Amino acid sequence: MRHWRHRLLPVAVGLASLALLAAVVELMVRSSLINPFIMPTPSSVFGSFGRLIGEEHGLARLGATAAEVLAASVLITVVGVPVALLLHWRVRLRAAFESWVAALAAAPLVLAYPLFLVLFGRSQLTIVVMAFAAGVAPVILKTVEGFAGVRPVLVDVGRSLRLTPSQLFWKILLPAAIPSIFVGLRLGLIFALLTVTGVEFLINIGGLGHLINELAERYDMPGTYAAITFVVLVSVIFFAILESGERWLARSAR
Amino acid sequence: MAGKVGAMKKKTWLRAEVGASRAIACLVLLALWQAIALSGLFFQDVVPSIDRVLFAFWSVLADPLFYRNLGVTFGEMLVSLAVGCSTGLAAGLALGGSPFLSRAYEHFLHYLGSAPKIIFFPLMILWFGVGPGSKVGMGVISCFFPVAISVAAGMRAVNPVWIRVGRSFRASPLQMVTKVYLPAMRTPILNGFRLGVGVAIIGVLLAETKLSNQGLGFMVMQSYSRFDMPRMYALLIIVIAMAVAFNTLAMRLAGSKP
Amino acid sequence: MTVRGPAMLKIEAVSKRYGYGASAVTAVDNVSFDVAAGEFMSIIGPSGCGKSTLFHVIGGLTGADEGRVSVEDEPVTAPHPAIGMVFQEESTFPWRSVAANVAFPLEVQGVAKRERLERARRFIALVGLKGFENHMPGELSGGMRQRVSIARTLVSEPKILLMDEPFGALDEQTRLLLGEKVLEIQQELKQTTLLITHSITEAVQLSDRVMVMTFRPGRVKRFVEIDLPRPRTAEVMTSDRFGHYVAQIWGDLREEASRGMAAQEERVRTHPGV
Repeated sequence: MRHWRHRLLPVAVGLASLALLAAVVELMVRSSLINPFIMPTPSSVFGSFGRLIGEEHGLARLGATAAEVLAASVLITVVGVPVALLLHWRVRLRAAFESWVAALAAAPLVLAYPLFLVLFGRSQLTIVVMAFAAGVAPVILKTVEGFAGVRPVLVDVGRSLRLTPSQLFWKILLPAAIPSIFVGLRLGLIFALLTVTGVEFLINIGGLGHLINELAERYDMPGTYAAITFVVLVSVIFFAILESGERWLARSAR
Repeated sequence: MAGKVGAMKKKTWLRAEVGASRAIACLVLLALWQAIALSGLFFQDVVPSIDRVLFAFWSVLADPLFYRNLGVTFGEMLVSLAVGCSTGLAAGLALGGSPFLSRAYEHFLHYLGSAPKIIFFPLMILWFGVGPGSKVGMGVISCFFPVAISVAAGMRAVNPVWIRVGRSFRASPLQMVTKVYLPAMRTPILNGFRLGVGVAIIGVLLAETKLSNQGLGFMVMQSYSRFDMPRMYALLIIVIAMAVAFNTLAMRLAGSKP
Repeated sequence: MTVRGPAMLKIEAVSKRYGYGASAVTAVDNVSFDVAAGEFMSIIGPSGCGKSTLFHVIGGLTGADEGRVSVEDEPVTAPHPAIGMVFQEESTFPWRSVAANVAFPLEVQGVAKRERLERARRFIALVGLKGFENHMPGELSGGMRQRVSIARTLVSEPKILLMDEPFGALDEQTRLLLGEKVLEIQQELKQTTLLITHSITEAVQLSDRVMVMTFRPGRVKRFVEIDLPRPRTAEVMTSDRFGHYVAQIWGDLREEASRGMAAQEERVRTHPGV
């Protein structure tokens, strides 16, 4: 009873108001209170999902986006973590360049997409490079933070047991830094996905972002609305997977 | 005493070393750029030499058109910040104040807030036209979500004892908001605004590069399509510097360190 | 001291439960007492006896499930103007200066700025913080901040001062000194005071009467009249009779506290990791 009142009822109200909104919009569009060229009926948007998957090869587009994100993620990991290790081991390098990495993380790199377009051409390479540039900085920062944040007493324990430097790294430093590294990877991959879909839309190439742009340029309004909804769903699912993946890895790494 | 002096000496020495390695890194990067530009490795002007970029920089700053477009972008940004921050604040206060509303609607906010915003641009064009309206729309939807989410979370984090104190002195609901909640939430509200400012600028400028006939983003794309690379580099430097400056300013105002 | 005036605050058969169904806990069970005008009364009990629940019910912040709280026959259903509350937790507003903190209740009532600052200044002096009006709470020690909260509650001149372990977070010496300060103020203002505490010495040092509560469900175990001369000087506090009262209350409390400890151990056993 209490569970129903406090947990399920609000969720039901949330979903119901979404359905109500769709119904009201449907009626307003059908009675021409809203210009049907601006807003397609929700039923036609819902109906075009099948078309997106079939005629528009939605799954292949999803695959293209996924491949770009995957390539960028691999690059981010194999570059980000070693660079972070280098910064951690060389105190002077870290003192000099950690703030540069922080500036890179804060810089609105996506605005420079025309530049990347010129340098790398209108190809998926541009998208991967931009996604890499957007995602690598948080991985570096969080990894350095993870190593720097290892409690000194743990290192002392290792020293007192006379571990070799490599044992110290594999048995103490790395496991202690893992949670922070995973946080960095999650952030980096989120930025990568956002950049991939955004740049696909902007430069009109690749997977899902490209699909939205194409449908919009064709004035296929129900299709555009459906494709945007689809991308929102994909990113929500991607983030949820990353979050539970991070939790699972952090637990099993203990 | 001697140890202290030694430590200080070591510190200044480290600082000098840091400065030196940064300067060397800068020089190496610039030299690399210049070498690539002069080598002709890339097609034509793809990597213009530094002196030509500097010259383009100068001519952009001397161009009255630049200031007109700067004004357009600036205006779009101010309107979208005003609308986005105020609606975000209102939505955040409603969600943070009511557990019911939060459970019913806040997850939608998180879903929409975590999606890339630029993909909504076709809708903005449909609703608000190809002019400044759609750019303001982009700025607003970029700004709204981080502000609303940060304010809602901040409101829930207000120390409950302050709320009890307010109630025990029989403050009215309005007094509770103005005298307890808002001052207690200063940091999360300003933090939300800071995040909002950062993404609103990106939203407006990206929208301008995608489809427009005025504004800084339009100028960038114009020089891109004319293949005037030095000018495009100069404009991109200006645009990014502006976005960073705005972000830093907002951070200063929010009282947090950059 | 044993002859009490008319009842200012009346608590009649108050009960309060938390939770539903099988997991329901009765925090306060059928508690009745009254506090006379000008009286200093303390409620003492082990942690988990529902003292704080009672505090919130009397202050009108939470409703009782059964029974009634009234001030001079007026029922308390929401925070009542005659009751001023001092909370256990650090409760000063960090964004307001000491003077603005103390003036807060007057600001809420719509008192003009000049008057409220003047009144605030008077009560800041009363708690011994003269000269700190323009400091921010962050610049003060914990004991000073708690005095600011007390001044803030006193400034609205409530008929009844209701305090929930106001010195709980402070060290022993500060507690004793602040206790003396509160007593001084209480005598000066003839303030009706109800103090909730878990410190036996504090209760005996300050009160005319102490009510001992049982561990869950919180019931009245006993009332103890503290028939000691005022002011409660160091001499009084080291007297045999003072020690006698402390021992008597500890005798009552010991049993309840050990039941509380046993319940805690049981909870750890049945819900490991909580």
